[in-house]
Order: sequence, then C-alpha cells, then structure tokens
Amino acid sequence: MGRVTIKGLLAHKLRFALTALAVMLGVAFMSGTMVLTDTISRTFDNLFADVNKGTDAYVRSAQSLSSGFGGPSRRQRGRIPASLLPEIQSVPGAAAAEGHLQFYAQLVDKKGDAIGNPGQGAPTFGFNWGTVKALNPYRLEPGGHAPQGNQVVIDAASAQDAGFKVGDTITILTQGPPGQYQISGIAKFGDADSAAGSTAALFDTPTAQSIAGAPDQFDSISVVADPGVSQKTLTERIAAKLDSKSYQVLTGEQITKENQNDIKNALQFFNVALLVFALIALFVGTFIIFNTFSIVVAQRLREMALLRAIGASGRQVLASVLTEAVLVGLFASVIGLGAGIVLSNALKAVLDAFGFDIPAGGTVVTAQTVIVALLVGTGVTIFSAVVPARKASRVPPIAAMRDVATEGRPHSGRRVLIGFGITLLGVLALFAGLFGGQGIQFVGLGALIVFIGVFVLGPAVARPLSDWIGWPAARLRGITGTLARDNAMRNPKRTSATAAALMIGVALVGFITIFAASAKESIDAQVDEGFKADYVISTGTGFGASFGGFSPQLATDISKLPQVGASSPLRINHAEFNGSSQFFAGVDPRSANEVFNLKVEEGKVGDLAQPNSVGIARTVADDKHWGIGSRVQTQFPNGTTNLTVKTIYANGNKQGLADYAMSISTMSQHYTNQLDQYVFVNLAEGVSPAEGRKAIDGVLKAYPNAELQDRTEFKDAQAAQINQLLGLIYVMLLLAVIIALIGIANTLALSIYERTRELGLLRAVGMSRRQLRSSIRWESVIIALLGTLVGLVIGFFFGWAVIQALKDQGFTRFAPPAGQLILVVIVGGLAGVLAAVFPARRAAKLDVLQAVTHE
Amino acid sequence: MTSAVTSEPAAGTVAARAEEVTKIYGIGDTAVRALNNITVDFAAGRYTAIMGPSGSGKSTLLHCLAGLDRVTAGRVLLGDVDVTACSEKELTIVRRDKIGFVFQSYNLIPTLNAIENITLPLALAGKKPDKQWLDRVITTVGLSDRLNHRPSELSGGQQQRVAVARALASRPQVIFADEPTGNLDSKASAEILQFMRQAVTDLGQTVVMVTHDPAAAGYSDRVVFLADGKIVDELQSPTAETVIDHAKTLGE
Repeated sequence: MGRVTIKGLLAHKLRFALTALAVMLGVAFMSGTMVLTDTISRTFDNLFADVNKGTDAYVRSAQSLSSGFGGPSRRQRGRIPASLLPEIQSVPGAAAAEGHLQFYAQLVDKKGDAIGNPGQGAPTFGFNWGTVKALNPYRLEPGGHAPQGNQVVIDAASAQDAGFKVGDTITILTQGPPGQYQISGIAKFGDADSAAGSTAALFDTPTAQSIAGAPDQFDSISVVADPGVSQKTLTERIAAKLDSKSYQVLTGEQITKENQNDIKNALQFFNVALLVFALIALFVGTFIIFNTFSIVVAQRLREMALLRAIGASGRQVLASVLTEAVLVGLFASVIGLGAGIVLSNALKAVLDAFGFDIPAGGTVVTAQTVIVALLVGTGVTIFSAVVPARKASRVPPIAAMRDVATEGRPHSGRRVLIGFGITLLGVLALFAGLFGGQGIQFVGLGALIVFIGVFVLGPAVARPLSDWIGWPAARLRGITGTLARDNAMRNPKRTSATAAALMIGVALVGFITIFAASAKESIDAQVDEGFKADYVISTGTGFGASFGGFSPQLATDISKLPQVGASSPLRINHAEFNGSSQFFAGVDPRSANEVFNLKVEEGKVGDLAQPNSVGIARTVADDKHWGIGSRVQTQFPNGTTNLTVKTIYANGNKQGLADYAMSISTMSQHYTNQLDQYVFVNLAEGVSPAEGRKAIDGVLKAYPNAELQDRTEFKDAQAAQINQLLGLIYVMLLLAVIIALIGIANTLALSIYERTRELGLLRAVGMSRRQLRSSIRWESVIIALLGTLVGLVIGFFFGWAVIQALKDQGFTRFAPPAGQLILVVIVGGLAGVLAAVFPARRAAKLDVLQAVTHE
Repeated sequence: MTSAVTSEPAAGTVAARAEEVTKIYGIGDTAVRALNNITVDFAAGRYTAIMGPSGSGKSTLLHCLAGLDRVTAGRVLLGDVDVTACSEKELTIVRRDKIGFVFQSYNLIPTLNAIENITLPLALAGKKPDKQWLDRVITTVGLSDRLNHRPSELSGGQQQRVAVARALASRPQVIFADEPTGNLDSKASAEILQFMRQAVTDLGQTVVMVTHDPAAAGYSDRVVFLADGKIVDELQSPTAETVIDHAKTLGE
C-alpha cells in the first residue's frame, strides 16, 4: 500500500505541489514570526546582560506603578535620594557604587531635525556618564573624554549618521529648554555602535540631574562587589541597611532577568498579534487541504474500490490516504520552516516599513520553533485529511464496477440545521466576548466558530448563490458564461469549500476596513465634540505621541505669544484611582476649559489649580457616587495621595477627553517624566490663521520634534495612524488571501482534470481556446465572488458587533465605507481571474482528440 | 484508386476529400503507419460507412477528416477548405461551422439540458438557431418532450439522439460519426441509424460513419473498407447481408 501511495503522489506532482504550498505558506509565516520574535528577544537579552554585566547589587525605589499600556510591563517608579550612595558605598563588600539617571534626551542633527522618534522606534535616552568602568556599558572611542558641565558624549551610531565629531556643538531636546552642548566624546555600547538602535546622550551627573529635574536624586544605584563577595551576600547586606518600605535591593542577576522578562512580555503582545495572522493563514490552509483531499478521494473512488476489491481492507485504504497527508504535511512543513527563517527578515522589513522599528541581531532558530512548525504543519494536514480519508475507507468494493458518481447529495435539512446551530453558537461566543466581558479569546473563538458554521452551511447556499452571482456572466457572456455558472453550481460542496477559504480572508479584510473607517469617523466626531482648540502641537503622527513629548518650555513660549488667546498643554498618563488603573489628563486649569469642550457641570476647572485636586467625568461621578469634595485615593509611581474632587464635567473618554483630569503641577509631583505631549492652542481674537501659524511656527523652530496641526490636519494625522495600522494588517492578511487563491486554482485544476472529456467535446464541437479559457475564468470569478460576498457579509457583521461593543470607549460611529467595500468585491473578482490563469491555460492546451477519448 | 465520385448520383459535389493522406504515429522503430497514402472522396448528400478490422485505421481516417488529428502527409479538404493548412484557430471554426460530431460515448455536457446541448455549437458561434430547421431536427429525432431534461435524466439511446440532433443543428457540411451505436442496445441502435439515414434522405445532410457493425453499415449508401491503413474495397447500396459477404471475401 505504501508504494501505491508514493506512486500516486509522484503521478500527481501538481496536486501535491499546490496542496503542499497551502501548508507551506502557513508554516512559513508561523515559523517566521517565531524566529523574528526569538531573534528580537535574544537581542534584548544580550543587551540587558551587557548593561548589567558589572552589577552585583541594584537599589531602587520600592514605590512603583504598573504602566497602563497593554504590552510593556515596565513600571513607572519613583526616584531615590543621592544621599544613599555614600551609605551604600560604605557597606562591607561593596567595591564601588554609582547612581544612574535615565531620561528623555533627543539629539538634533546639523540640519535642525530631531534624530529618531521615540514614539515609533527605539527610545532616545539621556543618561549620566558612569565613572565606575564596570558599571558603564559605554566605551569612549579614542580622542574623546568623559563629559563635564556643558559637555555631552553621544553614541557612535548617531555620531556617524549625523556626522558629528568630538568638539562639535550639538542641540539636545530635553524636558528643559533645548540646550547646546559640546561633544566631548563618542561612545560605543560595548562593541556595538548603539544599544539596539536607541540613541544616547551622556552627561556628567550634576548636569544629568539638572536636566532630569532630579537634583540630588537617582533612578537607581548599582553596586560592584569586592572579590569573593557573592551577589546574594552583598544584596542582603545592603538591604539590611535600608528601609525596605522605601527601597528595593536586587542582585545583578535578578535585575537582568527582570529587564529581560519585561521585554519578553512586551514582545509577547507583538508575537501573539503576528501569530494570529499565521494561524489565520493555516486555518485557511486547512480548507484547501480538506478540499483537495476530498476531490482527490472522489476522483480516485474507483481506484480505491478496486484496491478494496482485490483485498485491501478499509483500514489500509484509510492508512494510504493518511500516509499521503503525512508526506505532504511533512514535506510542506520542512520547506515552510526553511522559508520561514528567510521570511523572518522580510517580516521585520515589513514592520520597519510600517514604522515599527525593532532591533534584531543574528537570526535565532530555537528547537521550539522547529518542533512547533513541523508538528503544526503536519498536524494541520493530517487533521484536514481525516474526513476525506474516512470516506475513502468506506468505499464498497462494488463501486469499482459502477460508474463512479460525484460527491453525494449537496444539502439536506440536517446540514442546514447543524450549520445554523454552529453559526449561532459562534455568534453567542462572539457576543459573550464583546458584550459579556469574556475577553478577546471569546471574540476570536466566536469568529472561528462562525466561519466553521458558515462552512457547514456552505453547500446548501452555494448553488443558489452561484446561480445568482453567475447570472450576469450567463447573461452577458452567452454560452461560455452559462457553462461557467453551471460548473460553479455543479458541485456545491466543492464550490463552497473552495470559496470558504477566500471567505475567511475577505471577512477579516472587510471587518478591519469597516472597523477602521468607523474608528476614523468616531475620532473625527470626538475631535469635533471634545476640542475647541484651533491648533494642536504634538510630536507628529506616531502612535507614540504619548511616549515622546517636548519640554514644558514650549507651552510657556506659546502662551506668551500675543497672537495666542488660550493654550493648554496636555499630558496623558495613568494612575490607580481607588484601585482601578485609569488614564488621566494633566492640563493647565487656567485655560483647559477654553481649549477643551469639557461641559463643566459642577465646580470650576480653575479649582483644579489647588493642590491635590482632581476633576472627574459625569459617568465616573455617577458610577462611583462621587461629588464635589469627595476624596479619591490615588496611587502614583511615588506613592499614594488623596485627591479631592473639585469639578465634574460631561465629556469624558467617550468624547475623546479623559474621565479624570488634574493640573500639571499636581501631576508633576508624582512622575519623573515632565514632558508635555500636546499643546492645544486658540488664536487671539482678530488673528488670522496665517498670522497665528507664522507666530507659532517661529516658536516651534527651537523644538524640531514638535509639529503644528489645525483641526483638519489633526484629524488627518489620526486617520493616517489608523491607515498605517490598517496597511500592516492588510499585508498580514494578504497571505491568507493568497492561500485562498491557491485553493481556487487547485480546485479548478482538479475539476478540469475530472472534466477532461467534456472539455475535449466542447473543443471538438467548436469551442475556441479563448472561449474555453474565458469559461474557466468566469467559473473562477463566480467562486471567488461567492467567497468575497459571503465574507463581506460576515465582515460587516463582525464590524458592526465590535463597534457596538466599543461604544463606551468612544467608537460612536458605525461607518462602513461603501467605496472601499465595493473595491474589495472588485478585487475579489479579479483575484478569481488571477487564480484561473494557470488552470485555464492548462485546459486550453488539452489535445482535443486525446481529451475527447479520455477515460 | 477508386474514383467513386463520378458514380455518385446525388448533388455531385464532394463534401470531404482525403488526398494521399498518410498518418504515422511515433518515430523510428516504434513508428506505426496508421494511414498509408489514402485518397478518398465523400460525396455531399450521401451516407458513407467506413469499415475495417481493429487497427485498420478507420477511426484515424475519420479523425483526420474531421480535423481532430493532424496528417503526416497529404491533404484533407472539407468542401473547398484545406483542413491540413488550417491553424488551430481556423480549425476550431471549421469544426464549429462545417462539421457535426457523433461519438461512441454520448459526450454531452452534463450541466446543460437537451436543447442547450443541441444548440451548443450555435451558441459557441454566437449564432441564433434556425427555428424551422431546429424544429425539424428535433421532430426527426423525436426529442420534443425531452428538451428540458439533463443528460443524466435521459437513457443512453435518448442521449445519443441528442448528440445526433446537436450534430445536425448547425446544418454542417459533414457529420462524422465514430461508432455511434457502439454503446447502445439493438433497438436504440436501429433508431439512431434510422435518424441518420433520414438526415441524409430527408434533410439532405452528408454523413460519414465509422462502424464495425455490418447491420449499421447496411443503412448507408456506400461502404468503404479499410485494412492496414489502405482502402481495400468499397460497396455501393449495401445491405447488412452484402456487407457481411463482402467482409468475408476480404478476409479470405
């Protein structure tokens, strides 16, 4: 039997190749993702190992607040007094100790442009220059010396890129006013030009403290142990000396591990996101494999019956088909794994192109990647082949004598019932995830089940839908169109399984398109409803406007302009209000009400200027039963403070503003980061936009990373951000669509083989090659459109459901973009044309005489 | 060579003609000479049967005449069209407009119903069927009440009647039939042969039919006997009995 299987595979190389391709692409994507993530992860592992190489003990504040952003688990932490340093140095066994500061410092190149973008790429760090060599990962290049006073050492990569030399003067943006510094040295990070793409500006400690707004403070203190003193011993000795409520002491190994884990967790989000797309591709692939094996089994029914007739058991036939699946799966997985390793670089290039600049060193292929890729690829293939294989094993030997009928009854009431049942289950799971608070896993699971339900329903609806979709073709293209439509309707199971693969891709494309358009409209509505300002100054288009920022000096400079009426900076950060982690806005209480449409209902925004005051949205007040004067226990990075409610306003998160607000002066007591992320500006009365713009731009010259936008530009920038993400998702979904197209091509090729004699007859009675190609093309287009239209319906539903679920987060508009959706349909149809190219050419090349006498 | 044409009583024109046609399959040692320098005419308005033992080249001759197979040497003329000089594109049009086919296995398109199958060549040509002619053809083959049936809903004999009607529908110059009764029982066979006879007698069509069945040949106006790729004999106005006798003499 084994030999029969292998001979069968070799005899149908094309079928083998196309099936394998579907698995291969999915596996390649998956292993590519894993390789990329491992590579990035290793890069950071090495980075942190280098940074902390000389550290035996590490002291930091015990006060911290977890970052509110989904990914990074890095915590915002308070600072520690510099006076701890001599205390720690005097601990027996401590050879040397040094305090570290890390803060925002962005280099400006010679043309006046800021280098790097912390919102999108690697961070732009400022540090104090370490004088303890074992604790300083930076190494001066020859000719430079450590910075003193108004001097700075910059990283070698930035120096090379921007052409800076020792002795040059450089502008550096910090949370203070932009400053001019003299380059005293250029440093490498270990052997590398930069630390994973980040830029570095290193100052002497007093300068660094002054820039960071932290006189006599450090973020942390690292300690080197005397020879013979273990990390553990040293750490314990230091801990014994310090107040454990205020300070945390870790070993060098612990801090390294923590840094590495933080990055791993941050990457986890990104890893999962990419893997989801890989799994979608594999899921689509299962449909293709299932369909191919079903068709092949149907076509070989007679051969299998013959095998049964001459004594093969049902089990042997089953084993034969499954062996084929194993061979295809294994072959495809191995190739896919290889392709994935290559693809990981392409994947990184795609992410770079969409603005996610991630450092990655040498490619890392772990055993886990290899095992998972092979198991999943082979497993998926076998899983998809089980049902067709079981069918094959049940072929009665007598079937060898009969003319083999094509696949069984297209649909039955039971199928419809089961299909509806599964679909409904999927919808329920989806709703449980969206509205029942069961989380994103339920949403994904629900979507998956919906797809399976529709797939089960498929054969029942494929015939009428193909009839309907094919009507124009039959009407306009005469007999070729009629034949195309009839062939598409001929085997509804096959047609629907083929279309289902495309359906999944299109449903996701449709969903994301509708979601993005709705999000854009919602944001536009929020801007209109929430903002009164004429202009916004921000760091530009990046997702990370909230990561970077600019000196508060900018807002001060702007407010002094005679052309400006009201202006308020805005800082978004988060804190725990009565135990729940929430974003809040830091604003200027004097002007916030003029640039934001808060719709104050109780109290005054100006009252927020009083220390430890907080403003809350009406929804929060109602929810928590708070009123003016209520005390809100608030956890900041440096400890807990009681804030008093001074104002209640109507427009919160849902209107694009924040549910909590406080003055920047209150906020700045509790955070080390003192950057403004936005400045909202109203022009003074009688000032023309041109005049206002000119005046503001004059100020912004000194802040090259700040950008001025009017309301339209601001909306466009938000839309551009969404488009950027949308583009990335489209690219990621492209693979699923390509696999679906391979599926269509595969089905067509197999159907054509089955219909050889029929095609021969058509050619014999006068069908031209062109007509034959056209007919197959239309058949393909009908199948593709079937998948596209059903997919769009599902996508539409998903879009609607998700927007409904996010209503409270400000997604108030459901706006399916008709033009784009029509474009999806057109592209779907064209994809059908593309999928048909190869099968149609093959069919047209058939020798008429051979075909017409084909058995 | 026999010049049967001059003795044809009907229209007198030649519907199809093979001129010194040779067909060799394969090359070198394995080459098989299926047709060996054959020259033969098929008169318009006549029903000709081609007979011969297996491997005599009768099917090859039919395929070459119909432009389904390329000749190695010689010419094939359909009316005044030199089929051997036609490009693939031109051949398609010749097959569509000038030739009707009836194959042994019915060769209908399963997704099309009877009437769609019958008008298929016309539809491919983008032509409207001649209503009167079509009605006559359909009446002749007795399919009026089966027109909306799919092939799977028709018996073998009915399917072959559809195939005959399809061959007639475009009023082709020649109808080529390759063992048209090979898969049918005797009753259905007789019907089909009778229809083809009527097509010639009543509708003035030209039929060239390959068969190994003397009874089938008995319906024709003329039988051409092939052996080893050559025409070895022919018989005018045959009956089943005379064909059997003739075949016997050839065999001896």
